[in-house]
Amino acid sequence: MLKVVALAGNPNVGKTTIFNALTGLRQHVGNWPGVTVEKKEGIMKYKDKEFLVIDLPGTYSLTAHSIDELIARNFILEGNADVIVDVIDSSCLMRNLFLTMEILEMGVKNVIIALNKIDLAEKKGVKFNFKKMRKVLGVPVVPTNAKEGRGIAELKKTIVEMAEGKITTNPVTPVYDEIIEREISHISEVLKETALAEKYNLRWLSIKLLTRDEEVIKLVLRHLGHEKMDEILQHISELEQHYKRSLDIIIANQKYEFIDSLIHQFVTHFAEHKETLSDQLDKLLAHPIYGIISLFIVFYFLFKFVFTVGTPMQEALDSFFASLGDSIGSYITNETLRGLVVDGIIGGVGAVLSFFPLVFLLFVAMAVLEDSGYMARAAVVMERAMRKFGLPGKSFIPMVLAFGCNVPAIMATRALDDERDRILTMLVNPLVPCSARMVVITFLAGVFFENHKALVAVSIYAISLGLALISALILGKFVIKGEESPFIIELPDYLIPSWKTVIIHSWERSKEFLRKAGTVILAGAVAIWYLSNYPQPVGTGLSYAEMIGKTLEPLTKLMGLDWKAAVSLIFGIIAKENVIATYGVIYGVGHTEEALISLMRQAMTPLQAFILALVTTLYLPCIATIAAIRTEGGTKWALVASLYNLLLATVVGILAYHLGLFILG
Amino acid sequence: MLMYVRLSQMREGESGIVVDIQGGAGARQRLLGMGITPGVRVWVIKSSRPGPIIVAVGTSRIALGRGIADKIIVRREL
Ligand SMILES: Nc1nc2c(ncn2[C@@H]2O[C@H](COP(=O)(O)OP(=O)(O)OP(=O)(O)O)[C@@H](O)[C@H]2O)c(=O)[nH]1
Repeated sequence: MLKVVALAGNPNVGKTTIFNALTGLRQHVGNWPGVTVEKKEGIMKYKDKEFLVIDLPGTYSLTAHSIDELIARNFILEGNADVIVDVIDSSCLMRNLFLTMEILEMGVKNVIIALNKIDLAEKKGVKFNFKKMRKVLGVPVVPTNAKEGRGIAELKKTIVEMAEGKITTNPVTPVYDEIIEREISHISEVLKETALAEKYNLRWLSIKLLTRDEEVIKLVLRHLGHEKMDEILQHISELEQHYKRSLDIIIANQKYEFIDSLIHQFVTHFAEHKETLSDQLDKLLAHPIYGIISLFIVFYFLFKFVFTVGTPMQEALDSFFASLGDSIGSYITNETLRGLVVDGIIGGVGAVLSFFPLVFLLFVAMAVLEDSGYMARAAVVMERAMRKFGLPGKSFIPMVLAFGCNVPAIMATRALDDERDRILTMLVNPLVPCSARMVVITFLAGVFFENHKALVAVSIYAISLGLALISALILGKFVIKGEESPFIIELPDYLIPSWKTVIIHSWERSKEFLRKAGTVILAGAVAIWYLSNYPQPVGTGLSYAEMIGKTLEPLTKLMGLDWKAAVSLIFGIIAKENVIATYGVIYGVGHTEEALISLMRQAMTPLQAFILALVTTLYLPCIATIAAIRTEGGTKWALVASLYNLLLATVVGILAYHLGLFILG
Repeated sequence: MLMYVRLSQMREGESGIVVDIQGGAGARQRLLGMGITPGVRVWVIKSSRPGPIIVAVGTSRIALGRGIADKIIVRREL
């Protein structure tokens, strides 16, 4: 078994940067069991030894009030880590040491402090006496500048030494006023009699009881029984009356006072408190009106960049896969096998893979926004508008990214710190039309509504986005449990992003997209290929796909769509732009656009075309998106999202069709 | 001028000492973790209704929704 190194720390302190520096690219991203919280693991090598590094969720404290905090706290509590590296932002010491105290208070001894962003602290004029700091805190302190890799070697060495038991520590823990201390000893005495004493630090349990921590109350209740528990809670109420406040405030307060007294022992120069450049920028960028204007400008250029650079690459990849299919196909004599390889695998996976440049660039754009500090401002500016629909301001980013591609958008929901918000955003995200659906919408609008194509395209976007917001309201009320989280967000200083971080970040994320293309999407493509070639190929009317289409026809007829549309929609599940291409296959005109256009004009009325575009936009998300929801939120929510969208598309399709018939007389 | 006000009522440029945090335990404990606790000096960087309010707490900057800013009681420094 590898020894385990856990990274803990506040959000945005540079944990990820340190994680990357320790593990290189030997890392794996997944989820903590049963929840949608990201779990990063990697292997750290030191000489010939290997260690497992685990990135705990970034948190400000270790209460029971958020999943992130519970995960981090339980991990430490269960003694799963051989070494805990507490990463702290040295330019914001007071607040960061609060978490440090929460960790040390649990009674753990195997802690190393990585005093990160030391360059920023120095720039702000903060000076440390490191030797004194180690003595006062009682654990090793390693100053680091993770961005430039300074201090990382020292940190690694210290980790290894601690893992091998070569370092003895004597961690400091907060001391409270007499009344609280007396109560802590009293409760500890009571708990000593129970089995809890073997497993947990009693002082920590007592302090958490005083703050009325729900999880600890539950835990202690199981061992102590109601009678003794009531006695303790009664005592706590009396104390609260004495202080006229809840004890969590009192204890936090005294913890900060304690930290303050520590800091004054080892910080020799403090930062001045003055208005910074970031503050001045925020007067503009976080302004309710100018902020929104800037937001639109930022995202306009973001998409301009992504599409200008990405679309030619996508087209190039597309034709690359086409010619790859052709040239490989010419070597395969067996027709079935050729169909499988050329149309199924290369065609299907290629269709999705050609989106890779777009996905990668969206990730780059997102990483730049995140790293520069702008992301938090976008959340501030959009908070009020989004909140009207039960979504937090932070969900704005995933919603916007979805115009490019829903896969990176779904993955971007990781930035939301509340589980409810995360799932809700994930569920409504597919309703934001991605660029593949834009292709279908503009094609159909162009063919059937020459004079009003912009209006038609815009109306489909409007319906879809409107449904996304209404769905957020409805799902948030009835389907997803949990309360809306209050809006509290830290605004990091604006920074020039580091290209290394941006590229590593984007690569890590887009790698997952590639992995999906190699697994789920491959399987899906093969399945669809099978349906369309057996028992007879599509176009003959005897393939399974067409049979399914005809079975579905009674339903799609309600929306005015025939079995051909039903078949197209099935193929669209692989990638939405397939909806059009399928018509080509069914009519046997392949990819010649003009023939296809005139055939489609004969086969459909403009109203039917409108409905087809609308339903394509709304129904089942594409396979890649479903797979993304499944990895981020679990199978259950992937199913909910799929069924919900399917239902919504059916209902809206039927309504829109009949409304259209009515209007057109 | 009132000495004790809600944080949401403070104007840009004003500062004060936090004296109390009301509201549910969840929101309260998040504030405590981020360094907003009684006794701490806060300084309003930006407050334009109806948007969130941005305060400086030590060297960090925190944006708070109006709802939660209503729950923070501050003794205004004149
Ligand atoms: N100046 C400086 N910047 C750093 C240092 N370490 C990290 N950063 C920057 O700080 C920002 C946040 O770093 P991350 O590694 O993403 O921080 P994190 O703690 O993982 O943040 P979350 O992902 O939000 O939890 C990035 O812009 C980094 O480039 C450092 O030592 N000095």
